[in-house]
Amino acid sequence: MKYDCIIIGGGLAGLTCGLKCLDDGLSCAIISAGMSALHFSSGSIDLLGYDPPGQVVPAPFETLSRFIEARPGHPYAKCGPETIEASLDFFRRELLAEGLEICSNGRDNHFHVTALGTLRPTYLSQASVFNERIREAFFRQPRIAVLTVKGFRDFHPGLAAANLRRNALFKDCEIVTGQIELPWFEQTPQNPHEFRSIDLGRMFDSGRGLGLVAARVKEAARGAVFVGLPAVIGFEDYNRVMKRLMDLTELIIYEVPTLPPSILGLRMDNALKSRFAARGGVFIAGDRVIGGEITGGRLDHVHTRNYGDSRLRAGHFVLAGGSFFSGGLVSEFDRMSEPVFGLEMDYQPGRGNWYSPAFLDRRGHPFLEYGVKTDQALRPLDRHGRPVENLLCVGAVLAGYNPVKEGSGGGTAIATGFQAALRVAAD
Amino acid sequence: MIDLKNITFDHCLKCTVCTIYCPVARVSPEFPGPKQSGPDAERLRIKDPGLLDDSLRFCTNCKRCEIACPSDVRIADIIQTAKWKYAGRTFRPRDFLLGRTDLLGRPAVRASRLVNALAGFKPARILADKLFRIPVDRPLPRYDRGTFERWFSDHASSQDGFERKAVYFHGCYVNYNDHALGRDVVRLLNALGFGVTLTREVCCGVPLMAGGYIDRARKNARHNIGVLTRASGEAARIVSASSTCSFALKNEYPNLLGLDNSAIAGRIEYITRFVHRCFEEGPVPRLGPLELTVAYHAPCHLERMGGALYTIELLKRIPGLNLKLLHSECCGIAGTYGFKSEFHPVAQEVGRDLFRRIEAIRPDVVITDCETCKWQIELNTSRPVLHPVTLLCQSLDV
Repeated sequence: MKYDCIIIGGGLAGLTCGLKCLDDGLSCAIISAGMSALHFSSGSIDLLGYDPPGQVVPAPFETLSRFIEARPGHPYAKCGPETIEASLDFFRRELLAEGLEICSNGRDNHFHVTALGTLRPTYLSQASVFNERIREAFFRQPRIAVLTVKGFRDFHPGLAAANLRRNALFKDCEIVTGQIELPWFEQTPQNPHEFRSIDLGRMFDSGRGLGLVAARVKEAARGAVFVGLPAVIGFEDYNRVMKRLMDLTELIIYEVPTLPPSILGLRMDNALKSRFAARGGVFIAGDRVIGGEITGGRLDHVHTRNYGDSRLRAGHFVLAGGSFFSGGLVSEFDRMSEPVFGLEMDYQPGRGNWYSPAFLDRRGHPFLEYGVKTDQALRPLDRHGRPVENLLCVGAVLAGYNPVKEGSGGGTAIATGFQAALRVAAD
Repeated sequence: MIDLKNITFDHCLKCTVCTIYCPVARVSPEFPGPKQSGPDAERLRIKDPGLLDDSLRFCTNCKRCEIACPSDVRIADIIQTAKWKYAGRTFRPRDFLLGRTDLLGRPAVRASRLVNALAGFKPARILADKLFRIPVDRPLPRYDRGTFERWFSDHASSQDGFERKAVYFHGCYVNYNDHALGRDVVRLLNALGFGVTLTREVCCGVPLMAGGYIDRARKNARHNIGVLTRASGEAARIVSASSTCSFALKNEYPNLLGLDNSAIAGRIEYITRFVHRCFEEGPVPRLGPLELTVAYHAPCHLERMGGALYTIELLKRIPGLNLKLLHSECCGIAGTYGFKSEFHPVAQEVGRDLFRRIEAIRPDVVITDCETCKWQIELNTSRPVLHPVTLLCQSLDV
């Protein structure tokens, strides 16, 4: 089996790369071992949220050139501001084609609210998290209601509201909390505590009883015009469900990401995969690439656990296996490695150097910056230190950036995925 | 000492991704989902089997949870094993009958007309529902006359002229219900230059495992491993055209039954993989154009095993074919699951989206690798369903 490009990893970086390859008329297969980190993500795309001293960046593209200049090893430096911007435009267009609208605050960052009631700067969000109407309403410092679904374990309005009240941005807002009982619970033998975000999302999808839900939301909102709800308002049919709920309540409804599974992230995953399939991409799920043959500085083929001795060949390969959580990087007691090809890593040996003893250290944990060492063209070095011509690394497997401290995880995945596809198409 | 054969439950991070992709949890509130029934509850069960939760009988063993899991937890294997390891045995005539495809098949093919008529006779079916809990609305598989083995032994001499041989594990479905598919497999293998041999195989054991007849399943598995090892002594390939039979021989024997199948595991191939390899090595037989729109449905077990890609690649080689790939999802029937009245509504609900998508495409035929997927799709859509091998043979004929 031979493709123009085989991508190892089906998360944000791999799917963006795959979509761009298909967009350029290349044949493309993605091999994905288990579902990606999108399932645990906020569903917003961070580009550059914090500058090196830790201050919030108001407008990422204004600081990006300086940021890149100061950090030539950063993945952003290997893409350049023009490509980064083009990649985000491309990403938004592809998702819109699947009905998922992604909004930005012009070229400025905006804040999204976390389940803890803290604010995170981000660049792109789904319309239920940021849009013009939400922005305008917020500037009028409205009365806010933070509500949850009765029995739901993965979001707690009291906690979120307490943190919001401490935030200077909300000092003139009155914040109330409450819960609503979903009418669907009355017809099931289950305890409401058993329902996860995904179950609730599907109940909303069914569309039945939305009128009753709307009435309860309105009542619990106690006069607030702005209502925050856990992000469970529809999993597949979210556009229609959200619109109906807002029409029925005449309120502005805002979605707060929940504990996993995160529906905001799932919607994105779904839309990217549907788009990839619709454009003719081949997605192999539940299989793991276990090795490949590098000869003469080129990766000839890879093999997978399921496909055994079958050789999957391609002109180019892209490694998008993610970081430690996704298994794209592996840490042992005192060493770290990239498990598929044993590529050269950029990291500090000695376990003591990897993390800060303070879990929420503002300077971040060093291990988050570790990963595969690549040249300016995103090409790695094999286990003997020799460059591999037709293998490109993208997303969280890369060294040289700290997604948490910088607020740059989503942007890096999209930009490097896009950049790799440009290089594949150019060859 | 706690006996821990599969300790992958310890790799579970509680991320709940599996539950998102569980087709049963999606439609049935009675199933708490693979995470809870699998790795979560296993921790309790290994301490006290009395903590077994009856709801895990809703699991269809489709393995979609294992495909979704980012941490390589063998979730479905944990659930399947728990079903028979911790539960007390109760004899159910229906489960016994559904499990013994051969016991039922051998006499049925002798009186296939009568059996088929009876299977379509409404009062008999209502009685079967009342007595055995086999749903009235579920058509029973039709039986062919005689066995495929018999047909093959009558034509075995035609295979003598081939230097290279492939062992064909035909499975119960071909033997009793669909000789035509078996003949197509032989034809296709012959066209690729391989003569076919059969062994004295017995049922692969999948329906037995589903019914909890684990000792019997092991007995069948040992027998099959034995005959296949002997038959494939000269490193011959073992080919199966049933995605679930191949999955059982290759994966379920070691993972669920705890048997050593290493003598044959590397040589068992689902047919499209075998054919694809032959095509790559060449020469490729001439495939004539088929001006058809076909929708391809990948069975769950083929996806788990890794093999849908070969079928897709082969279908792409048929000239003129307008191939539509269906969204990857379970059709619901899950082998014998859909033949049980208590699960029939769940099976129907699971497949609803798939049926809707098929009707929206309006293909001339639906292609799938699994016989029970075929029954389910034919029951619920207006479209005929064919095996990819049959389509390839049609293309060879043009």
